[in-house]
Amino acid sequence: MLLFENKQQKLLNLLKFTGSPFKKFVSTGEIEEDIGLVQSRYDLLNSIVNIIEKDENFILPIIGDVGTGKTHLFWALKHELYYYNMVYISLEKVIKKFYYYIYSEFIENMGIEVLRSIARRLCDNWGALERKFGFFHLADIEKVRKVAFDTWAPNFENKTAIKDIIYALTAHQLDPYKKIEVERWLLGEIIDIRELSRLNLSHDLRGRNHSYTMMKVLVENSIVNSVLFIDDFEKIISMMKPITIEEEKEEVFDRSWLYGSRESPEKRTAEKLLDKVLNLNKIKGLRIIITLKSKDYYKKIQDQFENKNSGLLNVLREPIILTNFVEKDLATFYKKNLEFFFGNINYFDYFKDFSDSYYPIDENVLKYIYNYTKGNPREIIKLLNKIFNEIILSNQDLNEILKRYQ
Amino acid sequence: MTNSPNFILYDSLRNIQTNGKFTGAIISKWQDKIIFSDNIFVSELEGISISEGLMVGFEKIEKKFTPFSRTNNFKWNSNEIPLEYSVLIPENTMEQYDQGQFSNDFPFTLNLLHTAGLYINDLKCGINHLDFFKGEILKNPISMIRNGIIVADRVVIDDNGDPVFYDCLIVGRDKSDELKISYEPIINVDDKVVEYIIILGIEELKI
Repeated sequence: MLLFENKQQKLLNLLKFTGSPFKKFVSTGEIEEDIGLVQSRYDLLNSIVNIIEKDENFILPIIGDVGTGKTHLFWALKHELYYYNMVYISLEKVIKKFYYYIYSEFIENMGIEVLRSIARRLCDNWGALERKFGFFHLADIEKVRKVAFDTWAPNFENKTAIKDIIYALTAHQLDPYKKIEVERWLLGEIIDIRELSRLNLSHDLRGRNHSYTMMKVLVENSIVNSVLFIDDFEKIISMMKPITIEEEKEEVFDRSWLYGSRESPEKRTAEKLLDKVLNLNKIKGLRIIITLKSKDYYKKIQDQFENKNSGLLNVLREPIILTNFVEKDLATFYKKNLEFFFGNINYFDYFKDFSDSYYPIDENVLKYIYNYTKGNPREIIKLLNKIFNEIILSNQDLNEILKRYQ
Repeated sequence: MTNSPNFILYDSLRNIQTNGKFTGAIISKWQDKIIFSDNIFVSELEGISISEGLMVGFEKIEKKFTPFSRTNNFKWNSNEIPLEYSVLIPENTMEQYDQGQFSNDFPFTLNLLHTAGLYINDLKCGINHLDFFKGEILKNPISMIRNGIIVADRVVIDDNGDPVFYDCLIVGRDKSDELKISYEPIINVDDKVVEYIIILGIEELKI
């Protein structure tokens, strides 16, 4: 029978073995965040959820300084609204093939089964699954296509794109010889010209109009609602800034030949990107959330919207401000992280033995961290990581290390 | 006549009649013939009427059995209803049936243009083409078996010469003569219990 056990030393030994629990201080759209929000952000989350559930089409800005947790908020929203198609893109990464990239993200998020079910439902609406004498399907693919063109295509601007999409959807449901290739087309795979001509299609979904129209078809006909989370939206504004003489690089090619002396290619790209985002707002049922680093950027975005069309300001909702942690949040955040970490490595004794303690650090250290970082979540994680690394790697006494942070 | 349990619209054997106008997937059995329809009107006073129903079966012409499928309107007065039963297939069963179907254009499937008899169990004038079609996939088979009807998406004749139906709706009576409906993705039937198998011609369905 074990009469005595130094649980604190055991925890430290375990940490020496596993490393710091606070390694990841930048949230990304690719790696899922499992830890929920801190208490002070619940109201903020609820107000975003309310807007999403109440309205069908809007652009909702979320303003928060660097490291306040805007991307982390995406994951919290995704967990909360698990019954939505929620897609993340960052403008730091995606500028070219914008629609194609978003479409691919939607497909990845929805999955192939949803795509198949939408194709089936649409073809059913066009009369493909009509049963003669109550039992027998006698679909005539050309007739179904004609019904689709006559009844459905007028709602879409680009006729070539919608023609290809109707052709693909009907072939997917009714032409078994082409089903597999067409499914690849619908999934957004790159299709060579020979295959395209065999399928009787003009472009694959890399074409801007095709991917936009297909996304419209997908979002408007999906049973679940969709939310597009565009991170780092201020990138558009920063690209629009004129290049100062100091920044200007010496180039052999004179860009003014193409873009004139007043405009830079980046500005043109940014304007196009803004137009594309505004075009996305025309997709019925697509809710858009954008993140900005400051209120200045929000004002500039407002100006841009007004310059395009003053009516566009109606789709722009009042911004939601993401502030730093309040002091109470830090303790909750710290405990949540450690519980998640030790739970993940199956050290469940942590919940029993350290439920009321902040071991290996203490309340004073937490206070120091809060004051030092002013409650910025990213800075908090960085500092916690530094302290834990010192505890794990140094041979100094724990109290001596902690003294430096009090 | 008594009220029926859910899907039975008419059953002469158990004295069941559900009055009203019904639409959906309806199978009615009339002697050794089957009527498929998307509507039926059942009334205590006016009898039963089906508009635009497809009757499938064999008829004897000059001592030879000839398969047929014909579209017609049917009406019987309340005192002379020759139907044995009429059932409405539940929508969820039809959804299962729909999902299991091959497209008409599926490769390697034989789609007959005109309705043909694959098999009829008759001592004198029987037809048996089961061996000829061994291993082939035949689309739209309808079969009358000893105490039921099978409507399937396709049939394949196995090595023993028995028909294997795929994606089938089965309507039949159980031991206590109660009508039952079921869906089976695959069912192997011994040819001894088969009364007949008819392959519906797709051109005739279009008429």
